Formats: sequence, C-alpha cells, structure tokens
Amino acid sequence: MLRTRVIPTLLLRNESLVKTKKFGRFTYIGDPCNTVRIFNELEVDELMFLDITATKECRDPNYELLKDIATECFMPLSYGGGVRSLEQARKILNIGFEKVCINSVAFADLSVITAIANEFGSQAVVASIDYKLRFWRKPEVIKGSNQKYTGKSVLAWAKDLESAGVGEILLTSVDREGTWSGYDIEMIKKVAAAVSVPVIAHGGCGSVEHIGDVVNQGGASAVALGSMVVFQKEGMGVLVNYPDEENLVSVLS
Amino acid sequence: MVVSGDKELMKCTRCIYDNRIPNLTFDAEGVCSSCRQLEMLLEQYGTGKEKGKRLLQEIIDDVKAAGKGKTYDCVVGVSGGTDSSFLLAKALEWGLRPLAVHYDNTWNSAIATENIRKVTASLDVDLDTHVVDNKEADDIKRAFLYAGVAEFDADTDIGFVQVLRTAAAKYGIKYIFEGHSFVTEGLSPVGSNYLDGAYVADIHDRFGSMKRKTFPNLTFYQFMKWVLLYRQKFIRPLWYIDYDKDEARRWLTENTGWVYYGGHHLENRASTYAHTVWLPQRFNTDYRNLTLAANVRSGKMSTTEAQAIYDEPVKADPELIEYLKKRLRLSERNYQEIMTGPKRSFRDFKTYKKRFELLRPLFYILAKANLVPMSFYLKYCFPIEETG
Amino acid sequence: MITIVDYGLGNLGSIKNMFKRVGVQSEIISNLDDIARAEKLLLPGVGKFDAAMTRINQSGLREVLDRRVLIEKVPVLGICLGMQLLTKGSEEGELDGLGWIDASAKRFPNSDKLKVPHMGWNVVRRSSTHKLLSSLPEDARFYFVHSYYVSTAQPENSLLKTNYGLEFDSAIHAGNIYGVQFHPEKSHKFGMALLKQFAEI
Repeated sequence: MLRTRVIPTLLLRNESLVKTKKFGRFTYIGDPCNTVRIFNELEVDELMFLDITATKECRDPNYELLKDIATECFMPLSYGGGVRSLEQARKILNIGFEKVCINSVAFADLSVITAIANEFGSQAVVASIDYKLRFWRKPEVIKGSNQKYTGKSVLAWAKDLESAGVGEILLTSVDREGTWSGYDIEMIKKVAAAVSVPVIAHGGCGSVEHIGDVVNQGGASAVALGSMVVFQKEGMGVLVNYPDEENLVSVLS
Repeated sequence: MVVSGDKELMKCTRCIYDNRIPNLTFDAEGVCSSCRQLEMLLEQYGTGKEKGKRLLQEIIDDVKAAGKGKTYDCVVGVSGGTDSSFLLAKALEWGLRPLAVHYDNTWNSAIATENIRKVTASLDVDLDTHVVDNKEADDIKRAFLYAGVAEFDADTDIGFVQVLRTAAAKYGIKYIFEGHSFVTEGLSPVGSNYLDGAYVADIHDRFGSMKRKTFPNLTFYQFMKWVLLYRQKFIRPLWYIDYDKDEARRWLTENTGWVYYGGHHLENRASTYAHTVWLPQRFNTDYRNLTLAANVRSGKMSTTEAQAIYDEPVKADPELIEYLKKRLRLSERNYQEIMTGPKRSFRDFKTYKKRFELLRPLFYILAKANLVPMSFYLKYCFPIEETG
Repeated sequence: MITIVDYGLGNLGSIKNMFKRVGVQSEIISNLDDIARAEKLLLPGVGKFDAAMTRINQSGLREVLDRRVLIEKVPVLGICLGMQLLTKGSEEGELDGLGWIDASAKRFPNSDKLKVPHMGWNVVRRSSTHKLLSSLPEDARFYFVHSYYVSTAQPENSLLKTNYGLEFDSAIHAGNIYGVQFHPEKSHKFGMALLKQFAEI
C-alpha cells in the first residue's frame, strides 16, 4: 500500500531555517543541515525546502547550501524558491534533489515547467500555488512575497499548470499558515477533483487529526507540515519533531 | 610516573582525581580539595537528609507562594539530558507548575529534541525556546576554535543561563530550577572550564567576523539586572535530595519514553565534539573524570573500575569531525591549522574575573540568598593560581 | 570497493553518500578500463529506457559490462531504471535491454484511483530468502518513483514483491545479478541496510 506522504516543509531565509505566520513575521528555527540530520534520525519520509527570499532578491538558489543539504539527506527532497529556468532546475536536480517547486516564473512563462518535465519527467516538477481570501471571502491566487493578487482563480490556475506538465500541485492557504487551525479542506477537495495530478495540502496543520481529515475528506494525496514540525505546541517554543508513526497510521488507514 | 616538570603523579585517596588537575590540593590524608569541597556542600545543603528535605520544602513553598495567579511558577532549564528531564518530573511531583525552557544552539541531535518532546508531552509541560541564528552560532564556534581555548562550548553554557533568566522575566517567574548535581557530576575544579559573558564576547570579537544579534549573552549588566532588579532565585534542587542518575534514567525511560544518549552532554553535537575531540586531543583533558570521580565518591563504582574506564582513551567519531568541518566551512588544512595552533586560556582575554573577585562579599550574600548558585561563588570569586 | 557506473544518467552523489554513511568505499567511474576491473558494480539510472540503452551500447560500455558480469561473474546491483535495463526490454522503448534476467518492463495502467508514476513509499514482501534481504526488517519500506514495472518470467528470479494496483517485482536477481526498482539511496535506514548487505555479498 502506498503511504500517504507527510512532508515537513522547511523555509529557508538566507542560510537559516525560519517559520512564518501568514507569510509575515518569522522565527528562527535552526541550522538547515543540523535540522536535516534530525529529520534523518527521525526517519522522515520526505522533505521540502522553500527559499522565501530568493525570488524577491532576484537571485539564484544557494547551490552550496543545497549541496550540503542533499549530502545529509537520505530521503526524497524537493526545493522551491527562485527557480526560473531549466538550467537552474537541472543544477538542483543534479545536486541530488528529486523535485523542483515552481511558483513565480509560471505567471510569466509556463513553458519552463514543460521544459523541465520533458527533460526530467513530470514527477520532477511541483507547481506551488499560494492563495488568499480576498473580498467577499473569495480565494484568489497571489504572487510573490508582497502577496500581490493575480486575479486568477485557484481552480483555473491549477488546470493551467496541469496542462503545462507539472507532476504535482502544492496548494498553500496563506490565511491558514501558522495558525494550527486545520487545512482548507473545501479548497483541497475542489482542486483534487479538478486535476488528475496529486495535490499536496499545505497551510494550517495543527494536529494529526487535521492530516487525517484533509486526506480522507479532502482527497489530498499528500500533506505538507510547517509549524507542527518545528514548534512544541501552538504558541510555544521551537522543537523539531515529527508525528508518531502509530498516530499517523491510525488516521490514515 | 612523572607528569609535568618534576611533579610526581599524586592521586586522591578517595576519588580518581590526580594532580594534573590545576589548583587541586591534597590534605594530610591524601584526600583532594574537590572531595573536601563536596563534603562541605553535602553538609551545607543536607543532601539526602532531613535538613535537605526541609530546606527544599521551604523553597517549594516559596515558589508556590510567589507563583500564585501566574500561569507558571518556576522555570526548569531542559536539554534533553538526564538531569534536566528528571528535574522537570520532580517539579511536577512537588506540586509546581513549571515552564520548560531550552536554549537551542542549533547543534542538537534528534535524541535531544526527541527527549525534550517526549518528556514535555508526557508530563504535559509547555516549552519555551530561544534559537540562535545558526550563522552567528557558527561564527562563534569558529572563533573559539581559532582562539584555541579549552572551553569550546562556553557560548552554549552562557547562552543557556541567559535564556532561562530571560524566559523567567518574560513570564514573570521568580524561580529558576537547574539540574546540576554536585554529587553525580562533581564540581569542575577551579581553574578549568572558565565561563563568563565577557570571555565569550572577547573571543568572538577578536576571532569572529559577524555581529552578535541573536546570541543571548550573559553580560555583567544582564547578570546584575536579573539578580538585583528582578531578584530571580537560581535553585539547584538536586543538591538537596538523594539523586541517583541510573535510577533517574530508568524512571524516565519507563514513564516518558526518554532515551539515553550514552554519556555526559552527548545529546548535543557541539558538546559531544568538545568532550570527545577538542578537549582530549587538544588539551589532553578528559572530563569523564567528573562523573567517574563522583561515582566513586558515592560508592557506585570502585576506584579500579573507574580508573580502568578512564584509562581507555575517549572514543571520537570521525563522522562528527567531518560534520563540524562541513558546517563551519573548514578545509582539512584549516582544521589541521586549528588543531596545531596556539593554545590560549581565559587569562589571554577580557573576563569579569577580577570584578567577581573584588565583589566577593556581595556574591557571598547573593549565594546565601540563592540569587546566584553557591557553586558560582566558589568558582569565580576566588583568585586562581597560575599553573605551569 | 563498489564501482558506481557513470554513463551519464542517474543521481550518483546520493548513492555514494549512502555508501559512505554505512562505511563502504565506493567510486563513481565512467572510464571503461576501470569498470573492467571493478570488483562490484552498481548500475544507477533515471529517465528513459532507450536513452539509457543507447548510451550503454554506443560507448562500448555494453561489451565491458557483459564480460565483467556474465563471464567474470562480478556482482552487480541495478537501481530503478538500472534494474529495468537488466531485463529483456521495456514497453517504454524500442531497444532491447541487457537481457541478463528473463523479465520485461510494462507500463502501469492509467486509473482514476492510482496515479502514475508510482511515487512514494511502499512496502515490500519477500518472495525469496536470499542473503541480500537478510538485514531488512519485516516492515521494510522503500521510496519508489517509476511509471513502468517489472515482472520476472521465472518465480525464482523474484526477490521482493510490491503492490500498486497490481503486484510487481520490486527486487529481482539471477546469480550475481541483482536489481531493485526502488531507490535505496532515498530510503534512509532501509536503503542503508540493503546497500550494506550488497557490499557484503
């Protein structure tokens, strides 16, 4: 039986790991390599790293840091943040990452996605969609660290990305990020039904029950965890951790 | 056997300390000054006796009274290690409402984080942490290596205290519990392992390249603020009670799922490096004698057993050294330069030592009032003789 | 010493890292003379079947491998596409495989329920008591990412089976030739156990 993937998603800011709330203020979490070592020791199934300032700073991914991370990791790794070209994707995948995560560049040019998928297979490309509720509680796709509304609906954008050849979609609710209040099950359900590629739920997970809910009710193929894996409890101190195997199995089977 | 110069090797008749330890003296019975100091502390704190029970109960009552109406009444510093984990459990047993506080120096192993997680979860205790920026942490560690001082992990020790005190202030808590036990650990002899905020700052200023923004330094000003203005009480409860580490570990494993990491401070990669590589290889110092001597004194081990363990050189993990080099961006050449470079001590840097000595009467009063640990007074407020 | 064959496809650094972590020496080699002297071979592979076979055929690697593996009986482990190359051929491509094991690769059927590629962690069931599996725990699981699956013609060539809509061979072998469909270098402790065991064969 294929296990539902439960993926700690770690945010990189320069060369440190941080955690944000609603894409805003950040807290230091620790050293990327040491944290990867801990997740290795915890036998976590997969990790995702997102560099939250690469696009804003218009710079390349930090390949040195990625190399350090890849040499520590003995599980599948994804990287996102400032990936704008096939060339960059190639470098990252050759370093030892399984997948690249594409966000900003897709708004200008979907063909980058197609190019990467053609060379490396669609399973190597994850499209990242960040969305927020705008007026009248209508969700809209946002872009960039300044969270600009794009006018696109989540469903329509997801379909466009699927057509471009992505292997998976990482769907992040900005409003729920860092809130421990549960995933946006309704949205996940809509998107999972509309596309045939796996959807990874992200934003708001606060408990193992939330994981069960979004998979069983929302149809998420995988879940990304943020706050839950880096804090002891909501509102309390930093503590790198991963849900107990038994607890995961009990909600996912 | 000749040790250094013309000194003959002299061993304590009670524990396994010998005269290679600086500032260690022996009395007419051949008992070392550390053993005698321990005797004095046992008497003073009534460890494991009625006196100790009574003194501790008074403290517990004070903690409860001072914490009325607040979410937490005491701060317990945790590291994932035996002492602090056990202390947390004891605090609950005593009817207190602790806040667990951890200083994350970004070098934790999974055993440390998992132990903290399991213990706080099963005891249902909240955790507050301060995480230093890892690049700053690396810059400080690199500075210490290039400085060539023995106290490789001094920044963590100092940072830990500052974080505890800061957390206590943030939540309006007066009492700080720390898990040191002079019975199980002994007192690190005067002259070795010097730590203070000025020392850490000077080493970093001279050999580092970044500004300190997130490192929680315990400067003199901070120290006096916590002690005189906030009047925080720094308590070491394990000094008052019978404390057996093996029993503590058994209890923890059975009741919380806590896991033993194999040796003193080996739950953190930085302190593991300090204890298994830096100190033995650079300074010919093996701090296992602290625990071993303590075991001998309390009758857990014979001197022969302890000596046998101690005579076996401490095991270093080559993978850990590779990790350190990778993390601190040191080439093999850099590392060799560091390992063969000049050695220095606290005497080569700015410290608060003289100030502490001058203020000895004040610190005596503060120690008696539990505003600073008595061990601090004994170690810092007396001049240290120069060693050869 | 394990020789990781570099024919231009596959992520070799991760494999080498894992060998290093379990204390086994390995080298990444593309030079044919060195490969001809290898004591143990590791054949990685990611990407398309024909692309891989073309490189192997055209570079002279084919002859070297055939001799070392079939005649000189040096142990070889194929990973992911590397395992599929050991077979007679794949639906993915036109070219023949190395043909060292009597098996072939077919595409997973498209279905609503099960997405292709098979991607993620899945469990394995032993179909043999071979030494290579001796250090794997009962609940061993590995990371898979593939769109084509392999079935052996003879049951004795199957080492491990996995279920993804249908049951397929997740590990195969014949004599000194071994193949695993999953990525041990991405399967933390389980992968380490397997690679260490391979090193000790």
